[in-house]
Amino acid sequence: MAPNAYSRGRSLVAVLRLSVLTFLADPQWLIPSLIAPVVFGLVAYELFSGAGPFFVLYAILGAGMMSMWGQTLYGSGWATGADRHLGTLEPTLSSPTPYLYVVGGRVIWNTVAGLFGGAIVFAVVAVTYGRPIPLSDPLDFVLMFLFVIVTLASVGVVFAAAYVYTRYAGFIQNVGEFAFYVGTGCMFPVVLLPFWTNPISLVLPPTWALDALRYLAIPGYQGFSWGFWWDIIGAVGTTLVYLVIAGTVFKSVERHVLEVGDLNDW
Amino acid sequence: MSAHPVIHTRDVRRVFESRKGFFFNELVRTEALKGVDLDVDAGEIFGLLGPNGAGKTTFTKIVSTLLLPTSGTVEVLGFDVTKEAHKLRPRIGLVLGGERGLYNRISARENLRYFADLFGVPMERRDKRIEEVLERVDLVEAADRRVEEFSRGMKQKLHLARGILHGPEVLFLDEPTIGLDPKSARETRKLIRSLVADGVTIFLTTHYMFEAEELCQRIAVLSRGRVVAQDSVAGLRKLVGGDRTIEVEAYGFDDGEIQRLRALPGVSRVVSEEYGPRLRLTMRVRTNELELATIRTMLANHPELALRERRTSLEDIYLDLVEEEAS
Ligand SMILES: Nc1ncnc2c1ncn2[C@@H]1O[C@H](COP(=O)(O)OP(=O)(O)OP(=O)(O)O)[C@@H](O)[C@H]1O
Ligand SMILES: [Mg+2]
Repeated sequence: MAPNAYSRGRSLVAVLRLSVLTFLADPQWLIPSLIAPVVFGLVAYELFSGAGPFFVLYAILGAGMMSMWGQTLYGSGWATGADRHLGTLEPTLSSPTPYLYVVGGRVIWNTVAGLFGGAIVFAVVAVTYGRPIPLSDPLDFVLMFLFVIVTLASVGVVFAAAYVYTRYAGFIQNVGEFAFYVGTGCMFPVVLLPFWTNPISLVLPPTWALDALRYLAIPGYQGFSWGFWWDIIGAVGTTLVYLVIAGTVFKSVERHVLEVGDLNDW
Repeated sequence: MSAHPVIHTRDVRRVFESRKGFFFNELVRTEALKGVDLDVDAGEIFGLLGPNGAGKTTFTKIVSTLLLPTSGTVEVLGFDVTKEAHKLRPRIGLVLGGERGLYNRISARENLRYFADLFGVPMERRDKRIEEVLERVDLVEAADRRVEEFSRGMKQKLHLARGILHGPEVLFLDEPTIGLDPKSARETRKLIRSLVADGVTIFLTTHYMFEAEELCQRIAVLSRGRVVAQDSVAGLRKLVGGDRTIEVEAYGFDDGEIQRLRALPGVSRVVSEEYGPRLRLTMRVRTNELELATIRTMLANHPELALRERRTSLEDIYLDLVEEEAS
């Protein structure tokens, strides 16, 4: 009897299915990742509604980003942390499916869930104030929105790799969280930050993509002075760098954990 | 295949390095395996015994591709575990057991389905196969309940079901019956035997001596990272000095008496231990020539002398080997 062979597609689907089932088993955890952004969005609306519709949009975009950020970026890494915690990392690694596909399936799921979270924030703010968010070109906006989330996912894959690599990844992530919120400019414009923080912002792909999104959505937006297309180039470039880093790390990460033997510590 | 052992290891060493202290500044080195040579043949049930911390789980993880050896040769089904793990994984099964290692929020069936997909159990056979293994471990009724509602024993059974799901040729079981009630433990042993009948080679660790004695054709005893013996139970009996175990009990013996017992024909070993207010001598005896009556006559001056004979059990052998190693 020939041994069974795994298939990439099937493994991805299986992981997606597991993610959905786990989510449906306990959907409450979505709430914390929505509450803060929704509150932030509503407060921003109250504070800035006098400053014109586009300033409001700026703030609401930030709120949506916060929500997606949590889901897309953290979800992927967190799931691997959970695998360690549950003790499921060992049986998963003992299967013929490379762990990269397990992470891949989770990134896809978390991207979808992140989009969903972002959309909810927009919807809540729009419904609360009975006014749709002003958009000059909805189609471009949606495409750009998808692009932003791809840049987020690229950081997510790197985080997932870190989680496989070391059980201390959660610690790094907690420390980094606030820096990310501020650094990427979801909360307020990066240009308001002290100059020395700019390099930190610019190594994060979502900073570029978010800036580009704002160019699209907000007429007369200044952002980084280099303009929309340089934002796009920067976002694509940094995203590729993150994907290359993730790819390289994943090549050695499985071997590394088998060498260290701390798959199960928590 | 039968000419070549299914599991073949030479001089396997494993060192763990971990950091301790507030600043992780203290490096702790543990030598879990100090040169392990083992051979397991096709179709046998092989048992690995040893005290807590002897290195059984470490060894099991190495042969099942979950941990790399620090040095040494490890071949399973002819594949080198350090270089050909991807070829080996579809052919072997691993049951680490315990309370963890399962997705608690979803049902047993969903757990199995997920792993069936990762292991590439053919799509058209998957659902039938899941039903089959659920039946084999007697979990059909609980199959659609969340795993978090499972008792420890039910989880253990689910671990087993997952281990055999993809029809492995070699199955590694780390303490497969831990936490099971006597009936379930017996059913599990029956399951293990039926797997062997299907041609599966079994490697298991256990702390239950009777279980190893009942199941295993061959046994290795691991102590502090070293194999101190590796043979059939019969072979091990010879190694520790005899099939017969005679226990003599009284309110004390003097050294001269113990010397004379040692000198009796066929006696290979006399160990004394306190037994309440009394002293018990446990003797391993090789031959049938020595009769209990001889001993009784020798020790006739002891009031309330108790004398018993039994067949040397695996537990006796195990304790002999492990104590010898420790001293
Ligand atoms: N990940 C790890 N990091 C550091 N030391 C480890 C690790 N895993 C095992 N050890 C050490 O290696 C030694 C062997 O442990 P192992 O778990 O293999 O023993 P065991 O024979 O399975 O014991 P038990 O009967 O208690 O299950 C122990 O000293 C243990 O502390
Ligand atoms: Mg163990």
